[in-house]
This record gives sequence, structure tokens and C-alpha cells, in this order.
Amino acid sequence: MKETVTVIGLSGSPRRRGNTEQLLDKFLEGASDAGGTCEKVILSTLDYSSCKGCNACHKTGICIMDDAVRGLYDKILAADCIVISSPIYTMGITTELKSFIDRAHYLWVRHFILGTHVITPEEKKIRRGYFLSTAGMDRDDVFDTAFPMLKALFNILGFTHCMGVLARNMDGYGGITNHPTALRDAYRIGNLAVKGIMAGMPCVERIKQ
Amino acid sequence: MNTIRVLAISASPRRHGNSETLLDWVLEEMRQDPAVNVTKVVLIEANVAPCRGCNACEKLNACINHDGMDILHDQIIMADCIILAAPIYCMSICAQAKALVDRAQVFRSRKYVLKLPVVPQERIGKRFGIFLSTAGQDWEYVFDAAIPVIKCFFNVIEVKNRDLSYVMIRHVDEKGAIKRHPTAHKEAASIARSVLTAMKERLS
Repeated sequence: MKETVTVIGLSGSPRRRGNTEQLLDKFLEGASDAGGTCEKVILSTLDYSSCKGCNACHKTGICIMDDAVRGLYDKILAADCIVISSPIYTMGITTELKSFIDRAHYLWVRHFILGTHVITPEEKKIRRGYFLSTAGMDRDDVFDTAFPMLKALFNILGFTHCMGVLARNMDGYGGITNHPTALRDAYRIGNLAVKGIMAGMPCVERIKQ
Repeated sequence: MNTIRVLAISASPRRHGNSETLLDWVLEEMRQDPAVNVTKVVLIEANVAPCRGCNACEKLNACINHDGMDILHDQIIMADCIILAAPIYCMSICAQAKALVDRAQVFRSRKYVLKLPVVPQERIGKRFGIFLSTAGQDWEYVFDAAIPVIKCFFNVIEVKNRDLSYVMIRHVDEKGAIKRHPTAHKEAASIARSVLTAMKERLS
């Protein structure tokens, strides 16, 4: 039985307290109620640059840019659970989130080239990563392009990609509070995530590889 | 023959890297034609901030965020052909390119919310687009997640799907790797010629 479970919630929206941040808050509320130690990070308030593609990390495994990203990734690597929220803009995740994910390249290097950052498969089974998203459009493929990026990130960071909440047709509902299930689902999934990690159970609702 | 206006945007944070080289090959071919007038924009020097998601453009028909996009907005409208070159980082276009794409929200609001024309009626169906991309990975599906984003971008700036061409080269990572690729240069030149031919037919 694991006693402390740390959960990092990342909001990738440029808008404060919008639909996806409300989903994130519910997830973290559920996680807290289950005994999790939660922290919420708003990407748009952090100071960081996009990856410059210099590939300096290919030799060292260290990013030459010393800004808010590094400390945040250290924190995420030490956490048991990560939950990332982002609205869909132009059929993809926001620039803020994409920029943050691009910066994980040095961790990809450590994982796949240098072999200096290895989270064991056993650890990965228990560590959980979730994605919460909303989209204005009602197309059933509107979240599809987000998955390869999230999958890659969770893989690099050593989290099992678990089923989060995807709520589309926000334009039709007029916001997340009018959606019939999304906020309740977010609370429930956050709650179960922490309980599951405490019990050392792998998540059942995994995103297929 | 009227001038054919080509707007070429290099979105990579790396200067003269693989995707920009691909773009330069396309432009080199297009410039052979005296009717072509090329404007090349290097996005990292153009100062385009991400969209704030404020939705003000749905009412104002303009973006409240004033930066390099003020000029790019007009350049996008004026061009007959818009070329976007962007590398794939972590399974999609680099963040710099996504910032530009998201700032096209003002065009989306104009077209779908305010129901106003993005370009004059007589230019609809006469706009062309090219997406050039490179990826380090050799996976066949490495561009898949980028394509819907790109289609969406070109759709809101009034370039029809059928008038959108692609050159996407995978397995080129280190700077200069594309120069050793067996077909990339030929593909770039060939797409430049075919788009130019199509434009001349349509614009005449």
C-alpha cells in the first residue's frame, strides 16, 4: 500500500478557468479526496521558450535552455500521476502545450539514445498519465491528432497512458458546465487514479498502443 | 501574365535546416519563372505569439494581439500560393508553426462565425497551398497527426483541399541530412512545377 501519491496537473490552455481548466480542477478534486497530494501548474503563467532544435542534448542529455521547463519535468518525473489538460485549437493541442512537449526532447534522448533515464516497466505500470480535453467542434475525430503527442510524452516520462475525459461540441453545449457527464467523469477518474496507485494496481482503461 | 504571389513561411526554429532547405528548393524552382514573386518569411524572426483563446475575433473580426501577425495576416490574404514548411517535433508540427496556425483563428472567425469573405469572391478556388515537412523518425505514420492541423489551417485561409500539395520527407534528423536524401530535391522541384502549372491555368 502506497501512502503518498503525488499528482501533477498541467493546464495547457491560454485561457484561465475555461472549460479544460475546470475539468482539471475536478480531476484534482477527486484525486485530493482520495488522499492524493496535488499540484496544479498553469503553463501559460510559466516562463519558457520553445525547443530550438539545436540537438545539443543528443550528446549530453541536458537542455541548454535553463528556464521553468527543467524544474517542472523534474517534478513530473518524481510524481506518481500526471494529468494534462488542453483545449483543441485548429485540430490540435494548444501552442503552450506543444511547446512544453517539444522541450521533452532531452528526456527522449536520455530514454532512447543515452539510456540514462530509465523508468522500469514495473514502475510505468503503476504510474498513470491522463489527458483531459475539450473541443468546440462536434467531429468524432477532433481529438485524434492529440493522441500521438500525448502517447509519446507519457512514454518518454514513464507513465501508462490512461483514459481521461474528452468532451466535444463545446460550441453546442455552451461550455463544460452544460455537458451532461464530463465534470463528473473527471472527478471520478481522478479519484480512482489515486486509489488505484495507492493499491499498486495498473489502470484498466488504458489507451491502446 | 499577371504576377503570381508566393508567400513562403519557414516555421522551423533551426535556420537552414532540413525543412527550410526543402522550402528553398521549391522556391528556387518557382523563381525560374519570371511571373513569380516570392516573399519568404522566417517565422522565428517574425514575432508571432500564440493565440490567447479570448475569442474577441468572433466579434471584432480582428485579433487584439498586435505583433508580427499584423503583417502576416495581410500577406496571407494577398498571396496566390502559401507555402508552409515545418519540421515534425514529437509527432506534430513544431510549436512555432502551431502558434502561427492557431493565430489563423481570426480567419476561422471571419469565415464561419461572422460569415464574411476571407478573400474576395473572385479569388476563391484560385488559391494554392503547399505543406513541406521533415521528420527525424522513419515511421510511415509520422506525419499523420500533423495533416489534419494543416488542412484546417489552409481551409480557414481559403485554400481548398484539392489545391493543397505536400512534400513530406522522413528519416532526416541532423542538419543537412536532407541533402543526402535520394529523392527530396527532385520531389520539391517537381511539386513546384506542378503547382505553378496549375496556378497558371487557374489564374489566367
